[in-house]
Amino acid sequence: MKILESAAVIITGIVFGLFLLGVQRKLVARVQRRYGPPIWQQFIDVAKLFSKSSISHGFVFDMGVMMALGGTIATLLFVPIGKLQVLSMSGDFIVVVYLMAVASLGMAMSAVNSGNPNASIGVMRALTQMFGYELPYLMVMMGMMFAYRTSSILGMAQVQQGGILNWNLFRVPIGAIVVFISMFGISGKKPFDTPIAPAEIASGPMVEYSGKFLGSLTLMHALVIFVDISIFVNVFLGGASNYWFFLLKVLAVFSLMVLISSVIPRFRVEQVVTFSWKWPLFFAVIQSVILVAMGVR
Amino acid sequence: MKEFELFFGPNHPGMHGNFSVHLRVDGDTVVKAKPVPGFLHRGFEKLMERRLWIQNLALIPRICVPEPDINEMVYAMAVEKIAGIEVPEKAHWIRTLILELGRIAAHLFSIGGIGGATGLYTFPYWATADRDSVLDIFEHISGARIYHMYIIIGGVRKDLPEGIDSLIRETMDYLESRIPEYIDLVMKNRIIQTRLRGKLVLTREMCEEMCITGVGLRATGVDYDIRKYDPYAAYEWVDFDIPVGEDGDAFTRGYLKLLEIQQSIRIIRQVLDKMPKKGPVNVKLPGNALKWRIPPGEAYAHVESSRGEYGYYVVSTGETTPYRVHVRGASYPQGLYGIEKYLPGTRIEDVPLWLGTMDVCPPEIDR
Repeated sequence: MKILESAAVIITGIVFGLFLLGVQRKLVARVQRRYGPPIWQQFIDVAKLFSKSSISHGFVFDMGVMMALGGTIATLLFVPIGKLQVLSMSGDFIVVVYLMAVASLGMAMSAVNSGNPNASIGVMRALTQMFGYELPYLMVMMGMMFAYRTSSILGMAQVQQGGILNWNLFRVPIGAIVVFISMFGISGKKPFDTPIAPAEIASGPMVEYSGKFLGSLTLMHALVIFVDISIFVNVFLGGASNYWFFLLKVLAVFSLMVLISSVIPRFRVEQVVTFSWKWPLFFAVIQSVILVAMGVR
Repeated sequence: MKEFELFFGPNHPGMHGNFSVHLRVDGDTVVKAKPVPGFLHRGFEKLMERRLWIQNLALIPRICVPEPDINEMVYAMAVEKIAGIEVPEKAHWIRTLILELGRIAAHLFSIGGIGGATGLYTFPYWATADRDSVLDIFEHISGARIYHMYIIIGGVRKDLPEGIDSLIRETMDYLESRIPEYIDLVMKNRIIQTRLRGKLVLTREMCEEMCITGVGLRATGVDYDIRKYDPYAAYEWVDFDIPVGEDGDAFTRGYLKLLEIQQSIRIIRQVLDKMPKKGPVNVKLPGNALKWRIPPGEAYAHVESSRGEYGYYVVSTGETTPYRVHVRGASYPQGLYGIEKYLPGTRIEDVPLWLGTMDVCPPEIDR
């Protein structure tokens, strides 16, 4: 039974993640006054990439890609999608944060091993800006764990039941905004796309990947976006009792992110850290103090 | 930190054109920059010596892809000066119209590049789409979208088509309505401002040292514009201002281009109002054009391109072909000396902005 559930979750993640990327391309195209590719274009691209031969740059290069994809799939299994959750335990949020880092590190390890200076600079930027957005994110989440006395994602979703006004979006509004901003960083959206800045470092870490490696990393990117927004939906938007309703919420949050990021340029790498440590961290501290001192109303 | 060698171009998303800059970077900071031209070398100047005077008209627009008309204009001006040809009045007005349309197209293209370099990809798409509306006008007038070959020695190739007046006016109204949107999207954007303000500053001394003209010089407060200082075509009969900045940074250069688009729209409207409705648009060259010789002599003609002073020095020895043609590309100084001398010390993020806001146009370097 667990195997079937795992398969369902992974297929949901991949299919819906790629669908989200297709929606992104279409939405961005409309903002840019273009027609845009068909919404299933991303499926065609990934299928094409997996059918191509690929160039390897050594064992660590290969392993890093597998680590990144594997780490993300492992994360996905901890995320409740509606009522569907394969692996659950009392502290699964902490596990998810840890596994997401494994994915980033796998990617960094692999990209640096390709020996391209663009990739090295990109990885350096990615790891630098992780300090920026992860800190306010974790601070808000820790505050909420303390306030609700639970570190389980499903537990966090369950306490919000009983109407829209019970959502953490309205109970913990400042924290919701901080996490929403940090999500742009985690999913590599502008203004936090400094590591893959094409005009500066020619797509940074991605520069040496081709064929199946690029396909795997596209899948990873789709899954990271899906996992990231799923956590937001579970923690702040009350989760969902219905599978389809959950996906609808994810789509809504993602569309909002895409529309915002399509009219924002890219930060310089030091601006990411100064911005994140100035405003989101400031509000994260305020929100944590409120949560710890007064709890959740 | 370890130094890297980074090849910025010719195959690089941040590089526009066949050009390369070899960077040595320490972390994110550029330590050494070496421009590497030559990927595009077709030897325009040498090719011109092998072609007849009128054949060159088909070759020279290729020197600058975003704004080809200035080449035809400046070549025609130089040859007319040597041969002593008087251009009819209506041709002057039509030339002004063409040059200003070309300036709008080139400026839209190049400020769109700011969006490409900073990651605001919506802006290049908008700007390129709006540039296309100008190209539509060119297609109606000359039959071609990019290389028009419309300005010829002695005037322009043919008269403006019927009904082009209303099309141009509509397009100008549309472009004017777009400028506030550009300002909202780009110039008022906080991230763009922090990335461009105070960055890549060209001082007046640097401009004088490297002979930089155009927007780069005007951004430092000098109102040098050849359209005012040495008027050609119909520029002395129309009324326009020269936008001037003070800071000399990348932001000012981008903003000045938007203001210049507004001035160009103003000029085009005046041209449409004041242009004579009838009259010849070119003078017929004497004799067989394929055997046409112009008297010995030499002349320098210059115009204000979207990037600065653009000049041709033409020498004739009385043959059917030019003896020598020298092209003064407007972006030559900032594309070669500027990169080598002033790029070190900036960051990798600034390199595409240097190329974008200074309008480095590789064919002008590789001429």
